[in-house]
Amino acid sequence: MSTLGDLFLTYQSVISFVGIDALLALSVYATLCCGQLSLANAGFMAIGAYAAALLTLHTKLPFAAVLLASALAPAVFAVPLGLPVLRLRGIFLAIATIGFGEVVRLALVNWDYTNGALGLVAIPQRAQLWTIYLVLVIALFLFSRLRGSKIGYALESIREDETAARTMGINTTLAKLSMFVFGAALAGVAGGLEAHFTFMVAPSGYGFSRVVDMLVYAVVGGVATYLGPPVGAAFMTLLPEVLRGLGESVGLAPGPLRLFVSGAILLAVVLFLPNGIISLPLLFAAVRMRRERG
Amino acid sequence: MGQQAINGIFLGRIYALFAVGYTLVFGVLDIINLAHQAIFMLGAFCALVLVGELHLSIAVAFPIAVLFSGALGILLDRIAFRPLRGRAYSNMSGLISSIAVATLFEAIALQFFGPDTSRFPFGTFPERPLRLGGAVVSTLQLCIVAISVVLMVVLTYLLRRTRLGRQIRAVAESPRAARILGIDVDRVIAASFFISSALGGAAGVLFALAFNSLSPDIGRSVELKGLAVIILGGMGSVPGAVIAGFAIGLIEVFTVAKLGSSYRDAVSFAVLFLVLLIRPRGLLGRVALREA
Amino acid sequence: MHRLIELVVLAAPVSFAAYGADVVKVGAALSMTGAAAVYGTAQKNGIQAAVDDVNQSGSLKPLRVEAVFDDDGSKKEQGINVFQKFINQTKVSAIIGPTLSTTATAADPIAQQSKVPVLAISNTAPTGITDIGDYIWRDSLTEAQVIPGAIKKAHARLGFKTAGVLYGNDDVFTKAGYDVMKKALESEGVQILETQTFAKPDRDFNAQLTALKSKNPGILVVSALADNAASIVTQARQLGYSGPMLGGNGFNSPAFIKNAGSAAEGVLVGTAWNSSSQDAANQAFLKSMRERGVSPDQFTAQAYSGVLIIAEAIKKAGMKGGREDIKAGFAKVRDLPTPLGKFSFTPARDAQHDPSVQQVKGGKFEILQ
Repeated sequence: MSTLGDLFLTYQSVISFVGIDALLALSVYATLCCGQLSLANAGFMAIGAYAAALLTLHTKLPFAAVLLASALAPAVFAVPLGLPVLRLRGIFLAIATIGFGEVVRLALVNWDYTNGALGLVAIPQRAQLWTIYLVLVIALFLFSRLRGSKIGYALESIREDETAARTMGINTTLAKLSMFVFGAALAGVAGGLEAHFTFMVAPSGYGFSRVVDMLVYAVVGGVATYLGPPVGAAFMTLLPEVLRGLGESVGLAPGPLRLFVSGAILLAVVLFLPNGIISLPLLFAAVRMRRERG
Repeated sequence: MGQQAINGIFLGRIYALFAVGYTLVFGVLDIINLAHQAIFMLGAFCALVLVGELHLSIAVAFPIAVLFSGALGILLDRIAFRPLRGRAYSNMSGLISSIAVATLFEAIALQFFGPDTSRFPFGTFPERPLRLGGAVVSTLQLCIVAISVVLMVVLTYLLRRTRLGRQIRAVAESPRAARILGIDVDRVIAASFFISSALGGAAGVLFALAFNSLSPDIGRSVELKGLAVIILGGMGSVPGAVIAGFAIGLIEVFTVAKLGSSYRDAVSFAVLFLVLLIRPRGLLGRVALREA
Repeated sequence: MHRLIELVVLAAPVSFAAYGADVVKVGAALSMTGAAAVYGTAQKNGIQAAVDDVNQSGSLKPLRVEAVFDDDGSKKEQGINVFQKFINQTKVSAIIGPTLSTTATAADPIAQQSKVPVLAISNTAPTGITDIGDYIWRDSLTEAQVIPGAIKKAHARLGFKTAGVLYGNDDVFTKAGYDVMKKALESEGVQILETQTFAKPDRDFNAQLTALKSKNPGILVVSALADNAASIVTQARQLGYSGPMLGGNGFNSPAFIKNAGSAAEGVLVGTAWNSSSQDAANQAFLKSMRERGVSPDQFTAQAYSGVLIIAEAIKKAGMKGGREDIKAGFAKVRDLPTPLGKFSFTPARDAQHDPSVQQVKGGKFEILQ
């Protein structure tokens, strides 16, 4: 007997989290689209979140300024980190960036000024559903402009074959660094939004499993276009909530079994939808065409 | 000081055993297998069930648990990695499917064992502390060191002197070339997973015995350290993983002694960074430019 | 047949509305998976047992309490989602939980905004919980209410002059415990020779313990949760440390004794729940858990007590189970007999009851006289 209003109230947080997770997925996609697997974004998210939280709690800056700061703060770290680290190939870059994320988390756990493990609490809720989606739309817009542009082509050619791209005269270092910093800024602003939506920040929210989640969003959604990662984020964020609802009707108790189903679904998507969920419509079309052909 | 050195060596052994499994799969498949820590954990639980419920002695339970872990490795390869071979971005999808399987394994462990910490029943292993100078070593610790040394030696022999070992090294070098040479690449990869997971499971049992603690999340604490170890040692190098395991174990322990424990993990990652920036191939890694 | 249909038709709408109906729904937001799953599971056992016992006793007639459980996965986002669901969809009268303080700081503000009372049963962060607003209450003593008394008593008994401290710095529970331990030791004039930290996932404490032991402290004070506590104590003894050890709330668990075995002997524990209390309420609780085959720990006791407190609030509000009723009822709870002892709320909505100091003797917790 729940009215539509109740339904919205129940799920508005979930929808907001989808928006934040979409931004996080895009932040990982930023480096994936030029062929780099960077897993530093939980660290960047933490930097953005804490910067924003500290500014809100200790200054009277307007929220827009705070959000800007949450994008710039991690970008400042991304430049000196990116320069040496982006020289590494593939898996080494991944591991180095995992290391960075862990160092940020450990630093926050040990920093008394921000209360260590407890973090900063009682942050006023300055971010609403519309703020989050406004930022997301801006991010998607930026990616869409990237697509057909000269920079976009440069990134694609780096992804295909970096050495060849360099010989063609593309400044691969600048391109990769720019996307690395862009990804950091996106993660930071997502962190700032989340901090002002969930009332608090704490180091435990920015660990290794966080960045793994982001990567999963991107890959499950599909990394061929910038629309994939947000779709993946929506899917993975809604999944536990859908399971929660479904589970009750089929008597699936909250607990390990739900976790099992999550893992199974993730595995199924990876195995059977190699190009991500976003390739589903294409698949359906292909199947239908094959059937029509007889 | 001597005690800390012993602590470091002991910790290092376990890191090394865990890391060797990681590095083997990485060398062969170019994939970080994030389910390795879940098999580490399940191997330990297998031994716990055998000793706790079936009352087998640890000497019998250990090899069974190791074989069980190896079998899990083959299962892992079959469901998570093999279907992805030959696809674009197989490294990344492989990474993610290993995450999915790790989640499945953890959920199974949670369902059957609950989230509580358990330990091996008292008296599973006779404990007798020995004194060396001012330091204390237990018979359990010595035994664990001995077992891991034996396992490493067996592994090295396997890789250097047997046909399977040669095939594994060939696939690690270039699967395409190996296939042309008539090697059954899928079978070799399955074998590598068996060995890698068997070692991971062994590390898990020894870890649980050594620190009297077992829960579905024990893999987490070693997962990231394992990465630091294989980077320092060099990807794909077994002796590298061994040396690096010791190095990181000792570094950690002495960081705690001199600087305080807050810096412990940070130092491991600092080492990781330094290695990646100065000498990415680590101590003994090959400068492999992986061929398709 | 026609009577049966009538019954079914009548029963359906009752299950939708919690206000003023026969069933008072309490949402239990617990960590059943993820990092805090151990505690969430213990809490679920306690809550379910208490709900059954309260209903069976008929003390709330004609009302009944129903607990709706859901998992927050030890993550704040899921905590928020569960709270929203409880508040807007299940329409609970009150929420019990969440397990972790960090989840609470994210989810409780939503309950406060929506005017739904929350009873925390394991949040021990010194600030940031009940400060959120007047709908947030808790029955879990903070370490600040438990540790100083324990250290004072231990000091009076053992007379140590120096201490070594080991604590988990990545968990709110254990970090809060450390802050209090440090202050308490200093105010007793005990010199802290060495402080070491560890992280929750750690299992090897040899390095830290060796460093602490080498300074020869008069006592080893540890702030850790049960899983780590058992390993710490075992490894300390293995390394040859034979002095006294004192722990906080985290040690107060049968799992600690079970996993530490003989190493647990003599360990002092400052705790919110006196497991060996002979009070009727505690004995009834122990019996109830025994019948269910559950070995209760402090988390179970605090969860069980939480339901008793909610039932009392309903009574004090005049047998009314609405949201405002329970909130008003909380304020009237005074010296309620619970497994934790005689319970009241402080004016700041925090827990108030006598803590205790225990010692492990013969594999069991005993009150330190």
